[in-house]
Amino acid sequence: MSEVTIFVDGEPVPAEAGRPLGALMHRLGPAMRRTEEGAPRGLFCGMGVCFDCLVTIDGVADRRACMTPIRDGMRVETGLAGGTPS
Amino acid sequence: MRRIETDILVVGGGPAGLSAATSAAGAGARVDLVDAGAAPGGQYWMQDPVAGATTTQSAEGSAAIAAARAAGVAIHSGAEVWAAFPGGEIMAHDAEGPVVFQARSIVVASGAQDRVYPFPGWTLPGVMTPGAGQRLAKLGKTAPGKRIALAGNGPFLYAVAATLASIDATPKLLLESGKARAPMLGLLARHPARIAEAVSLLAAARAVPNWRRGHVVTEALGEDRVEAIRIAPVDDAGTVDTARSERIDGIDALLVGWGFRPMIELTALLRCRHAYDRALGGWYCVASPATGLTSVEGVYAAGEVTGIAGSRPARLSGALAGLSAAAGLGFASPGNEERRKRLVRALASARSFGHELGRLAPPPAGIADLANDDTIVCRCENVTRGEIAAALAEGTRAVAGAKMWTRAGMGRCQGRVCGSAVAEIAASLGGTEIAAAGFNPPRIPLRPVPLPAVLEATRAAGTGETH
Ligand code: FES
Repeated sequence: MSEVTIFVDGEPVPAEAGRPLGALMHRLGPAMRRTEEGAPRGLFCGMGVCFDCLVTIDGVADRRACMTPIRDGMRVETGLAGGTPS
Repeated sequence: MRRIETDILVVGGGPAGLSAATSAAGAGARVDLVDAGAAPGGQYWMQDPVAGATTTQSAEGSAAIAAARAAGVAIHSGAEVWAAFPGGEIMAHDAEGPVVFQARSIVVASGAQDRVYPFPGWTLPGVMTPGAGQRLAKLGKTAPGKRIALAGNGPFLYAVAATLASIDATPKLLLESGKARAPMLGLLARHPARIAEAVSLLAAARAVPNWRRGHVVTEALGEDRVEAIRIAPVDDAGTVDTARSERIDGIDALLVGWGFRPMIELTALLRCRHAYDRALGGWYCVASPATGLTSVEGVYAAGEVTGIAGSRPARLSGALAGLSAAAGLGFASPGNEERRKRLVRALASARSFGHELGRLAPPPAGIADLANDDTIVCRCENVTRGEIAAALAEGTRAVAGAKMWTRAGMGRCQGRVCGSAVAEIAASLGGTEIAAAGFNPPRIPLRPVPLPAVLEATRAAGTGETH
């Protein structure tokens, strides 16, 4: 197993490379984003179907956290108010 | 753009897809397999991305993956199919960008997703499908919560309870809508080979401290995440008695689902014939029980996309479709016909068990009516049940019509999540059969891909269809 560091809303977070980002985000959350109306959303299907787990990864918006394996140094933005997922 | 010419393209790397690929390659065909997951195995044979195969089930899967590779199958992981054109052209997209397959035949083994129905509070973070909880535990070694409620119906719930227990996250509460035990015992008596599996699943359910049959979750409550749930009794006719509901506090994760729904987007795009049976998960692709061939020449289907039946029929129908697809292209060895006949017989028996099991645990009849007028039904476009009901009142009957009027099903998921519910709401309000509401026709791209890739690929295919 390889311990790496990723950045969630600028904060360093230890993570295991290869595991789905969605799982880590759920541990930090469970909210990962807000809808346009401001409602929080988190992981729902966990298999790339529902698009509820959208985050910005390395500057690319609307990536599915559940389908993205963790890589060292990955930068994730949630768009949740206050900087870190609550 | 990368372009791969092949004899047979298999879409899906679960039990059905891997078996199809291995048997077709074994017959001498060149076979490529595309799978959306980071590693092949699908949902049933999920491989731990870090530790590899850690259970007997995933070890069975890694053996199947190794067998496919040994047979010469080229496996393309992390590749999602987003379009298919007549003539065997299939567009996929992976981390490196678009890749186009030109195949002489296609085997669709796209599998299934959790079947869900809306209820108040179901969009709160912490509410997820049982399958999502399973993947969190298996792929992420992460517990969905500390106080988990697991709810819905069907034996998959027990399997999820077992997985959660394996990472020390046994649910606090297991709620099942069904309560009759006798039909299940009768089914097992007719399929004694399945008793051992049933006993171990039952043990996982028994390990849950609070196991209640004949109940459904009617509401999830909380501010920014689920904090409590409301449950109510449901009778055999599927009527939920909300007057007798009770509130359960201190829940931080709710996993709720009603079995599975076949993922028919690709077979629908290829214009294969589909049929509806709620007990088989809703709409499924019709495939010949003798060959796996769909109504479209050169297109075969195997596994859950042909109706929910479980992993055993998936493997058998995969092997059958792979063999038939290869034979259809002239790859056939002397023992093939005998093998095909054996597969057909074994498949019929395995499927009958799976189908009967599905009939024992249908979602309650009125389950889609748990949503209130202001409950969001379409999670992508935030369309409420009230808005859908208003569209229906103005004369829209079909799912596709409700989509035009309300945007329900217009979002990124293309109605894969809300489709079952919209159809059942339409049927319940209109007094019609659920099947009459139809399903959302899939549109290209099936999965979001960067627009330049869509334009380039569709231009190459000469269709110009991009909506
Ligand atoms: S949780 Fe559904 S797409 Fe990621």
